[in-house]
Order: sequence, then C-alpha cells, then structure tokens
Amino acid sequence: MIRDITIGQFFPGNSIIHKMDPRMKLVLTFLYIVVIFMCKNFWSLGLMVASLIITVALSKISVKTILKSIKPIVILTVFTAIINIFYVNTGEVLVKWAFIKITTGGIFTAIFMVIRIVALVIASSLLTYTTSPTLITDAIERLLSPLKFMSNSVHTIAMMMTIALRFIPILIDEFEKITNAQKARGADLETGTLIERAKALIPIFIPLFITSFRRAYELAFAMECRCYHGGEGRTRMKQMKLEIRDVFCGLFIMLTTVGVVLLNINFTAVI
Amino acid sequence: MSIIKTENLTHLYSQGTPFEVAAIRNVNLDIAEGELVAIIGHTGSGKSTLIQHFNGLLKPTEGKIFIDGKDIWQDKATLKETRFKVGLCFQYPEYQLFEETVYKDIAFGPKNMELSAEEIDKRVKKAAKFTGVTEEMLEKSPFDLSGGEKRRVAIAGVMAMEPKILVLDEPTSGLDPMGRDKILNLIKYYREQTGSTVIIVSHNMEDVASIATKILVMNEATFLSYGNVDDTYSAADELLSVGLDVPQMTKIFLELKKRGYPVRTNIYTVEQGVKEIQKLRASL
Ligand SMILES: Nc1ncnc2c1ncn2[C@@H]1O[C@H](COP(=O)(O)OP(=O)(O)OP(=O)(O)O)[C@@H](O)[C@H]1O
Ligand SMILES: [Mg+2]
Repeated sequence: MIRDITIGQFFPGNSIIHKMDPRMKLVLTFLYIVVIFMCKNFWSLGLMVASLIITVALSKISVKTILKSIKPIVILTVFTAIINIFYVNTGEVLVKWAFIKITTGGIFTAIFMVIRIVALVIASSLLTYTTSPTLITDAIERLLSPLKFMSNSVHTIAMMMTIALRFIPILIDEFEKITNAQKARGADLETGTLIERAKALIPIFIPLFITSFRRAYELAFAMECRCYHGGEGRTRMKQMKLEIRDVFCGLFIMLTTVGVVLLNINFTAVI
Repeated sequence: MSIIKTENLTHLYSQGTPFEVAAIRNVNLDIAEGELVAIIGHTGSGKSTLIQHFNGLLKPTEGKIFIDGKDIWQDKATLKETRFKVGLCFQYPEYQLFEETVYKDIAFGPKNMELSAEEIDKRVKKAAKFTGVTEEMLEKSPFDLSGGEKRRVAIAGVMAMEPKILVLDEPTSGLDPMGRDKILNLIKYYREQTGSTVIIVSHNMEDVASIATKILVMNEATFLSYGNVDDTYSAADELLSVGLDVPQMTKIFLELKKRGYPVRTNIYTVEQGVKEIQKLRASL
C-alpha cells in the first residue's frame, strides 16, 4: 500500500543521532555525500562504509528498516552495475564473446558504483529516519538565514515546506478514502484504455482538490487567529544549540574525510 | 435466509511491518435478509473495517465472506457485481460529491451499472424522493448545498443503485438533532419500502435503539454480542463495562431498579419509559 513507503519517514527515537542538532546532521550528511564521490579506491570507500555502519549502529534503527530504504533503488542499482560491466574496458579481459567484453576494470567499477549508490541512499534515509520533517525544515531555514539580508522570503519558503510536508500524509489518507467511496459506487479504475482510466480519475481528483482548498483556507484562518504575520520579529520556542556530541560527530566525519584523502593518495585509484 | 455471512474473518493492516494491527480478529457473523442491523462499538474497534469487507473493498487476511450465499472472493470478476449489490456509504460522504449538478452526482452509480437512460432517470428521481432532495435542488451544484443537504444527496447516490444491502457508516455524525432525525427516518422508510437489508454504524445509542431490529456490539476487534435490541440493552452492565454507553432511558431504569423499584430494565425509548412509569405508579 501507498502508506508503506519508508522514504522520508521519521522513526522517533532517543539515540545520539536522534538528539543531534538537525543543522549539524544536515551539513554532515551533505558533506558525507560529497566525500563519497571523492573516493578513488576501495580503501577509501571502505572507510566511508565503516563510518556509515558506525552511524547506523549508533542510531539504533533496525537493519531491516535500513534495508527497506534500498528496496526502491534495487532496479536502478542493478542497471548501473550492468552498464558498467559492459562499457568499462580497462584491466584484464575475463570473457570475450562476439562483441561482449568483460574486464576486471568493468567488474570493479560496477561493484564500486553499487556500494557508492547504496551508501548514498542509506546516508540520506538515515537523516530523514532520525529527524522529524519539521526539524529538517527548521534547520534549512536557519542554515539559510544569512540570506535573509538579500530577501525576506527565506522564512516563507521554510514555512511552505513545513506545511507541504505536514500535509502529505493527510492527502494520501484523503485520496484513499475518496477512492474507496467512488469504488463503492462502481467506479472502475483498473480496467479500460488509457483515456478511460484518466477520465476515471476525475471523480477522485475533484473532491480531493476541493477538500485541499478547504483545508488551506482553514489553516490560513487558524494561523491568522494566532497572529501569524510572517517571520519578521518571530522568536522560537525551541532553540537549537550545538552541544558536545555535535562537535564530536562533526570531528568524526572530518577525520573520515581526512582518512579518505590520505587513502586516495596512498593507494592506486581504480576509478 | 442469511444474506451476509462471515467465517473466521480476520483483517490485519500493514501486515508484516512494525505497524501491523489486527482490526478484526476471527469473527463469525450471520445476518438474515431484511434486518436493520446497527453496529456499535468504540472508536477503533473495527466497525469500518468490517463493513468494508461486505462489498469487497478490503480483502480478508484470513477467512471468508459470503453475500447472498456466494463467496465474494472466489471469482474476482464478480467483485463489481458485489459492489452494486452492497451499497456502501462512507462516513462524511459529502466529500465524495464531484459532479456539476446534484442530478448528475446521484446518477454516477447507476451510470456505472450501465443502465439505460430512462432507468437511470427513474432511479435518480426515486432516490431523490426517498431522501427528500427536491426538484430544484437536483439542478443545483452539490457544492452550493448545506452540510445536511449534501449528506442526503450522497446517500441518494448510493440508494440510486438500489442495492440489496445498504450499508451506512455513521450516517448521522456531525448533524444537528433535526438533520439526524431526518436521516434516520429516511433510512427506516427506505427499508420499509424496498425490503432491503440495512446496516448502520453508529455511536449514538438513542439512534440505534429507535430504528434497529438487531444490534451488533464490537469491542477490540471482536464481537461482544449480536442479538435483538431488547437482549442487547438488558445486558447493559456488560456494555457499560467495556466503556460503551446505553440510552439515557435505560440508565434511568437501571438506577430505579438499583433503588429497589420493581421496574423492567430493557427500556430504551421515551414511549416505553412513559408506559413503565405509569405502570409503576398504578402499582404503588
Ligand atoms: N488504513 C489503515 N491502515 C492501518 N491501520 C488502520 C487503517 N484503518 C484503520 N486502521 C486501524 O484499525 C483499527 C480499526 O479501525 P476502524 O476504522 O475499523 O475502527 P472504527 O471502529 O470504524 O472506529 P471509528 O468509530 O473511530 O470510526 C484501528 O486501530 C485503526 O487504527
Ligand atoms: Mg469508522
């Protein structure tokens, strides 16, 4: 079912990763993704994987959940691997048959790419698994706050993102309800030509839009009633503060980065 | 003859994930044709889940469901037929309205049944009459109606399919007492006129007492009892013990009995109450 998608899902918890300052988490995740593209050989890549495993272990998110986040990209990963096996022609030739040529270089690149993609997805899912959407948008707003001197829409954009994220599950719920109601009246969504099926969506989308507009109005009224008037002069109930653990986690990723650079220099590149 | 029958019906949501919940667990039910069954139970006791099995919107995780003696999941091709046989009207059905006019919206169901134009017209008019939707309302946009009117239009949309079994999920929630009475009366009238089996889910004990012939009590994914109104409310203690309410009238007579007056306690409408009090006064 549509509800079972785990990307972007938040699993509340109490681990050090959960408690980390969301700004730090966001920056470090971004840094991690950059560094993973800097890896040139299996040694540096191995270091990145090891640090990821440590982070996952610290977050106390179950391995099953982590594996689930990879599920949607399995096809993409397999496809990338196959392309690399056939197109990279460096190194020793292992198999040669008609126009197909498989080399050690091809296989290494394929493995390298797969590990890289998987690590990338796990790292970014870990961010959303351990940080509530509100905190993520809050962190984005604060990280972008230097830009406030240029334009005062930073707050507006962050608020829009928060609201949009908040409404996704509600809309999914609404969509399911309306679909069921129209199915109960004999609406046929599964069979027919493409045009017929597109037409069959009208009885679902019209009520969905109407409820969304109604909700938007209600929310706007509710916000106005609580004297919301944009970001200017607004203070926070929850302050974000950098703590020792954030510094520690920052250092950890920094060290990993230095390690990656050193390993890149000391061992020959395979990619 | 039984028109709806379930055999060890179980439904799990999000099966195989950490969020797995059993919404109904191993239930057996046998509803006879022509009854007006009220389903009562706590929030989250599985009422909506149960009724969505009746027309095949939800597939049982385990167990079977028979409509009119036929296992509805035996042949998937007959599922659409089942949907027309069992008209299901959801909670807050006014949010499913979408057409330009009320007339067209009521006609949506019959149109999906691929009936002739005259037949559709006949059914729309008939359903409109049942639900008190006037001629001039038929030409209006459904979005220009009041909440209660919208509700009636949505119910008409289901009635127009002339289902053998009409199922309504909390048809009176969020309406004022007058709107509530209107809806209940039209449901009662519909059943008397067409002889269909009607099932309503409700939180309101007074509503239920006034129109139902049988009551199904649900608690924590299973059935607590299924029987006629008298029997259900005589076991008022049992209902109260699982946190369900009983009609105000019943409460009064329970209390009277507790204080030593010789009264019956299977009383749930004002009329019955008046009679019993008069009897009591005569005997004192
Ligand atoms: N789509 C769904 N996905 C997951 N769990 C669900 C879903 N729908 C219902 N549930 C769960 O199943 C249980 C039964 O829900 P159901 O809607 O059948 O209750 P109900 O008796 O109709 O309650 P109410 O009186 O509030 O309408 C609840 O615990 C609910 O949280
Ligand atoms: Mg319900």
